[in-house]
Amino acid sequence: MKATMRFLSSSPNVTLAIIVAMGVVLLGFKSGGEFFGPVSVTTFFRFLAIPILIGLAQMITLSVGQLNLAVGSIGGFAACLAGVVVTDFGVPQWIGALIAVVVGGLAGIVNGVLIVVTKINGFIVTLATMTILMGAQYALVGTRTISADAWPSVTQFGKSEILGIPVIFIMTLIVAGLVSFYFAKMVGGRRLLATGDNETAAEYGGISIDRSLITAHGLSGLLAGVAAFVAVATLPGVNQSVGGDWLLPSFAAPIIGGVVLTGGAVAVLGTVLAATIVRLVDSARAEFQLAPAWVNLVVGAVVLGTVALGRVRANRAEALIVQQRVRAAEEALAEVEVVR
Amino acid sequence: MTVPALEIKNLTKTFPGVKALDRATLTLMPGTVHALMGENGAGKSTLIKVVTGILHGDSGTINVFGENVHFDGPTDAMDAGIGVVHQERNVVRGFTVGENICLSKMPRKGPLVDWPEVKIQAKRCLDMLDLAIDPDTPMTELSAAQTQLVEIARGLYTETRVLLLDEPTASISVDEAMRLFRVIERLKAEGTAILFVSHKLEEVFEHCDSITVLRDGKTVVESQPLAGFTRDEVIDKMVGRALAHLEAPQRSVDMTTVPALALNALSTTAGHRNVSFELRRGEILGLYGLVGAGRTELARSILGLEGVVAGTVKVKGEDVRIRSVREALQKYRIGYVTENRKEEGVFLLQPITTNIAVTVWSKLAKFMGYVPAKDEQSLVAEQVAQLDIKISSQDQMAGQLSGGNQQKVSLAKWLAANTEVLIIDEPTVGIDVRTKRSFYDLIWKLADEGMAILLISSDLSEMITLADRIAVMERFVVRGEIENTHHYEEMSQAVIRLIHPTSTPAAGE
Repeated sequence: MKATMRFLSSSPNVTLAIIVAMGVVLLGFKSGGEFFGPVSVTTFFRFLAIPILIGLAQMITLSVGQLNLAVGSIGGFAACLAGVVVTDFGVPQWIGALIAVVVGGLAGIVNGVLIVVTKINGFIVTLATMTILMGAQYALVGTRTISADAWPSVTQFGKSEILGIPVIFIMTLIVAGLVSFYFAKMVGGRRLLATGDNETAAEYGGISIDRSLITAHGLSGLLAGVAAFVAVATLPGVNQSVGGDWLLPSFAAPIIGGVVLTGGAVAVLGTVLAATIVRLVDSARAEFQLAPAWVNLVVGAVVLGTVALGRVRANRAEALIVQQRVRAAEEALAEVEVVR
Repeated sequence: MTVPALEIKNLTKTFPGVKALDRATLTLMPGTVHALMGENGAGKSTLIKVVTGILHGDSGTINVFGENVHFDGPTDAMDAGIGVVHQERNVVRGFTVGENICLSKMPRKGPLVDWPEVKIQAKRCLDMLDLAIDPDTPMTELSAAQTQLVEIARGLYTETRVLLLDEPTASISVDEAMRLFRVIERLKAEGTAILFVSHKLEEVFEHCDSITVLRDGKTVVESQPLAGFTRDEVIDKMVGRALAHLEAPQRSVDMTTVPALALNALSTTAGHRNVSFELRRGEILGLYGLVGAGRTELARSILGLEGVVAGTVKVKGEDVRIRSVREALQKYRIGYVTENRKEEGVFLLQPITTNIAVTVWSKLAKFMGYVPAKDEQSLVAEQVAQLDIKISSQDQMAGQLSGGNQQKVSLAKWLAANTEVLIIDEPTVGIDVRTKRSFYDLIWKLADEGMAILLISSDLSEMITLADRIAVMERFVVRGEIENTHHYEEMSQAVIRLIHPTSTPAAGE
């Protein structure tokens, strides 16, 4: 039993993968196998793309010890802007979709530049830009919903699938792979991690802190822009509510996935798995026909549970350090005895 | 006529309220090891930070091999061939040893990190220091000494013509320091100019060719051959004539009283084993050890912040089990002046009143926690007068005070609470010489008035000046305890023998 517990808590990803597996089995049984039907599977993955993307967007700002409250409003604004330019201004639909991504990245860069130039805390800056963009989104679309009929080819892309897996989900996995590669192998990603881990050490090592902050916020905005593109491609239309419920899941995924708020660490696989768990909870809610509020309750409990588990892991690491110390202390004691 | 490798002229750097460098001047020749000496706060680290582009000087010139330079940032200094080992250990804990060593100039293939090359380069630097550390080791697995050695290895990573070493030996053993000096000798022979900052006079006299001394940001000895100096002369120059012959006052401690605080074979959850000592009222017991030896952790254990595994803590002869700092203070009258003044010792944004009265609020409190301002202020005024703290008003924020006065404020709150045992952790780090002197006087005065003081310090000369007895800690164990004779040579030898009993067989007799 103890050994099992140890295995379960040995790495966050193992724990998360087990939870995912249990969730899938449970849902499969409850639905009498229907959960594994082609339609269910496709739907499941199609609506998993955005949670993963916004989780990664938040993770990137967390990596430098920042946070981005504007993830949802950047996404919502970018999606609505794309809808408006295509519908009202006759911009070609794919250009419109591209605009969503580019505008997301630009908004992120603006966040970063504001933080660097004003030296105001990132929480306050992104709180402000979040509010501004929410206003701008409303100014763009008001109370209307812009129908996806205006961009049939993009919608077609959102619906297309390979072997039952939505192309949009495959694209999301590729994005996740790129993010992982960026942090593991590329100089730029290592710089972000160094900045988040120890700003002074990074600065003494010739890394520009300002550039790291702008890069992190820029990339975060860019991923929010990609999430906006997914929204445009998969929703029946865009309106002022797009992005409104992205903020909390964007934090839940990386935190459950094992990312620390203080910076210096990323967990791409963990974030993907955590987003999957949240998606499973949502599917279960539909399956058991519960009120949507149950999802919040469960996700909140999972966040607390994983953080507690992380604490257990940290304690174990500390205990190891103390063990080493005790060994050294005993050697030192023995030396003293010999001299006497 | 050789061109100086580094020539600093009239360099001035002002921080709010302090002139850290005041027309400092220094000439460093290629192929020499040049000692930069001075007390804490004399401006040595500031000078190094300006030369490496981390700080910008207000005025003055810097020439590197005859060429006037202006560094915008650390990268510029590196490109000019200046390498540095900073005093503070600033490592990226989440990275490996190899990546930390190469951080300043990552080997790359296009935008990608060239990991095999990182390993090769890191291995090369580690080999220079004879270090058997795998470049793939995570930094979190290293001890304090190993971390410092990695910092040194990092300074050797880039091709340097000028190497600045800011107290590289502060927390490493004598053996490890020897390896560093072998590297220094080799680099010197190759023509590298080396600026060496250390508080250890032995090292300086053994390995340096020339010397510059800073005092309060001014150059008081400018780039002279070290051969012309005696140790006492160097100390004279560092601390100024008025303070040079700092003699400990004649003190006597009544050793017949029941110890105010005693540890009896204490083992703790922090990792201490078998730690014993007795501290009597009126006594100053020094707890000396390098960074990472377990001194601060021992203080935390006494205060109940770490658990007791075996052994006992006695206060006035009675076994006690202290569970929290609050209990240590209110029940057993033990106070703790923390090491990191800014982070743990004072509330920088709060008024002086709050900073000192915080320990006595519960005593002053009337109905429902209401604290009459008058009571609070009169109590604070008493402490301000007793410790001679320089403030403009009690409403002043602690953050506006000088380092020395902040330290006094952090001490005052314990005195206000009538503590009988005071643990003082690294009291004079970052404090100028004059304040330091007044702080020493204060500690003696407190002891004379009957306070039992446990003084934690890694500054050996401070220990030898202040303490009555010195307990030497290493690897979470007390290696031994010695009566302080206040003779620097004799005492420093004795301390080294305690830490390295095997390297000097004579010590066993």
